[in-house]
Amino acid sequence: MKIKGELEMRSIWAVARNTIRQAIRMKIAAAFILLMIIIIPIMGLTMSGDGTIKGRLQSFTTYSLALVSLLLSILTIIVATFSLTDDIKQKRIYTVLTKPIRRIELLMGKFLGVVMLDLIILIPVSAIIYSIILYIPYHYKADPQQKQQLENEFFTARASIIPPKPDVREEVREIYLKLKKNEQLPKGMSYNSIMRNLTYIKQMEKRAVPVGRQIQWDFENVKVSGRGQKIFIRFQYDVAINPPDMNIYGLWAVGDLRQISPITSGPGRTYFIERKDILGITREFEVPADAVAADGYFGVAFLNPPINNTVVIFPSGEEEGLEILYKAGGFTSNYIRAVFMIFAKLFFLAALGTLAATFLSFPVAILLCLSLFCTAILSGFITESLDSPGDNINIFYEYTIMPFIKLIPHFDYYTPSKYLIPARLISIAVIAEIAASMILLKSGIILAFSVLIFKFKEIAKITV
Amino acid sequence: MMQNNKYAIETFSLTKIFSDLWGRAKVTAVNNLNLQVRYNEVFGLLGPNGSGKTTTIKLLLGLLHPTKGKTLVLGGDATTTKISSRIGFLPEESYLYKYLTAREILDFYASLFSLPARVRKSRIEALLDMVGLRAAANRQVGTFSKGMARRIGLAQALINDPDLLILDEPTTGLDPIGTRQIKDLIAELAKRGKTVLLCSHLLADVEDVCDRISILYGGSIQAEGKVKDLLQQTYKTQIISDSLNPSTIESIKGLIIAEKKDFEITSPMEKLESFFIRTVAKAQTKAATTSGAVSTTQIGEFLTAKDKEKGILDKLVTAETQKEPKSEPVQTQKPAEVHIEQRPDTELIRKLTGQEDGPKPVEQKEQIASETEEEEKIREDLLKELTDSQTDNADKQADENKGRAGNA
Repeated sequence: MKIKGELEMRSIWAVARNTIRQAIRMKIAAAFILLMIIIIPIMGLTMSGDGTIKGRLQSFTTYSLALVSLLLSILTIIVATFSLTDDIKQKRIYTVLTKPIRRIELLMGKFLGVVMLDLIILIPVSAIIYSIILYIPYHYKADPQQKQQLENEFFTARASIIPPKPDVREEVREIYLKLKKNEQLPKGMSYNSIMRNLTYIKQMEKRAVPVGRQIQWDFENVKVSGRGQKIFIRFQYDVAINPPDMNIYGLWAVGDLRQISPITSGPGRTYFIERKDILGITREFEVPADAVAADGYFGVAFLNPPINNTVVIFPSGEEEGLEILYKAGGFTSNYIRAVFMIFAKLFFLAALGTLAATFLSFPVAILLCLSLFCTAILSGFITESLDSPGDNINIFYEYTIMPFIKLIPHFDYYTPSKYLIPARLISIAVIAEIAASMILLKSGIILAFSVLIFKFKEIAKITV
Repeated sequence: MMQNNKYAIETFSLTKIFSDLWGRAKVTAVNNLNLQVRYNEVFGLLGPNGSGKTTTIKLLLGLLHPTKGKTLVLGGDATTTKISSRIGFLPEESYLYKYLTAREILDFYASLFSLPARVRKSRIEALLDMVGLRAAANRQVGTFSKGMARRIGLAQALINDPDLLILDEPTTGLDPIGTRQIKDLIAELAKRGKTVLLCSHLLADVEDVCDRISILYGGSIQAEGKVKDLLQQTYKTQIISDSLNPSTIESIKGLIIAEKKDFEITSPMEKLESFFIRTVAKAQTKAATTSGAVSTTQIGEFLTAKDKEKGILDKLVTAETQKEPKSEPVQTQKPAEVHIEQRPDTELIRKLTGQEDGPKPVEQKEQIASETEEEEKIREDLLKELTDSQTDNADKQADENKGRAGNA
């Protein structure tokens, strides 16, 4: 028996199973699975990265997961749009909808079928990738020292702390007022764009270290648990003038820097490190965790020695900016969370495809989904480039394009490799955010729309 | 189940106007249609192409929204699960999931109804037997011929043992045997208290099975009524008898001449349909005799399955007897010749192919012999119908017809 308003799982399940069968028998899914099964092991053997075992692991992880994510995204879009539009086009839906199934049940069945198909493929394929990742160090006969290094830098999950952006609002305001007083404000620029430029310059200044000077970052609440742990400093150099050998020398002081400065409190060791690093590439070094003071303070300072003969700048980007990392979890659980990230994207795409199929024909629906998919991949870039358009467009796009872009999930923000390559922990908070925003909110809105459209759709009418 | 309405299908000034993108009316497919189909009748919806038959059905089933007017199907809205679980629908063409096997398709459709797994399984098997696709049950439907696809379409329409069966051009793409089977099936379902809405432009099919018909043109009803009332020529009299000797004929002639009426005397022609079925059945038993195995052709399976038809119908309908309409005594007597014509063929087919598992050629031969005799008798019975419809067969008997003075 069925209570009114309640969904009949039996019908939804029947439709879902039928959708999976369709995808598999029509060889769409089979082609994708075959592609993955052939390419992934080849990748495992051929990708060398920078030649080290860690480099191999990193490049294989990056590209295999990216491949799975891309192929499954395309598969999801194809199946989600094709399954329903083809039923309508071939008029099979006449025989289905005249059976005691509600339209919402049919739609949910199609959606569930696509999501389940994704899981059916995603779970074994990511398990294969996982085993290849574990196998790579054995295949290349890593020695104990290398193994230890991999344990610390790859087969782990490290919490990351990023220094906050310096607050420059006050300084920027002062400069602006000074410029205005002296009537030196650039002509033809609005207040907003002047402020934006000034903020950018000022923040850059804060990250720039002239020759012979030093920069210091202070971190609070660093909690490294367990003995024998390490703390990692990850950074990248940028310069004003390229040195001839592209190498930058640095003197680093890491630890409880308060001991050096007059105000000394609490124990905690300080380590001094001299390094020579190539610029433009993210580098990492480690110190024992006893550098962290008992109250959770941890300081990092960099001195630009005269030998460099150039201003050294620390970039601010998500990947390049300075951060400290320390072990906070295992590789396996982090990998599973990374796979969940892929799944969340597929879930969203399945919802999107379902929506498109309710009111468009197959070619149009797939085109729409693919273009939205590309927008989602590039959403960071698009938002960034839209952040500084001409001032007249500003209001226009704020109320038209911007909400739309906000609804599109930021796929590029949640790439597994962003976390797995630097062995960065995917925190529960990140997972919760993805689940809430991509699965519950955005997919939910999209599915609600598709149910609404499909409910009132005139099925037998020809759709163009 | 309560039938709080006296009609199984009722429409109230149903109108459907197809408009273009800008909302301008383009085609009026259905125009102020007031259709009434009673419970337990076989109703034929006729009309030339584009007269609005299929649109009407789509409106009834909620696949299209009416521009104006309203429909009641089994006393309610056909899109609600309560009503739709009692409807069986065979669309104009059998639109099927090409990548599924016949059995999987039926299983898929069956799983949309709340049937216990055991009932579902047995129904699927029974239906596969009935439509003659048991041997092809595990083949993907994409490889099926048009007729085979049609049979699966029919099977899915019957999967829920519907109270109301809506058939849109059910016989397209079927061979004469399939056509005959569908007609027999309709008659059988009607006998068991079901309501059938048949939509066709094959007039012979409609004439054979329908109690009442309605002829549509331009989306509205042009003529409606009982087949018998509409077609019976009350100004003519037909006498059908066993073959008579010339002297008797002469004396009858004399009587008619005395009444000063025109007349014509011939031997009745068998319908091509019955002849065809008999020929195929004969050919099949011959093949069975020589090869000693069951024929694996489509027709063979289908014929073999024929005798199970009653079986499945019994199974399907056992619990449904209380559904017989009580609100109104519906008159569903058919023109007698329809029954006379159908019964013998059904029996013939059944007897011919009685042993669907291991045919015993010799027995079958015997059956054929006895059956042919029976068939001869029936042919006499068909005289009336034949003289009505087949006027161009007079050449053979021209000599005996000297007495006639021309057509009335």
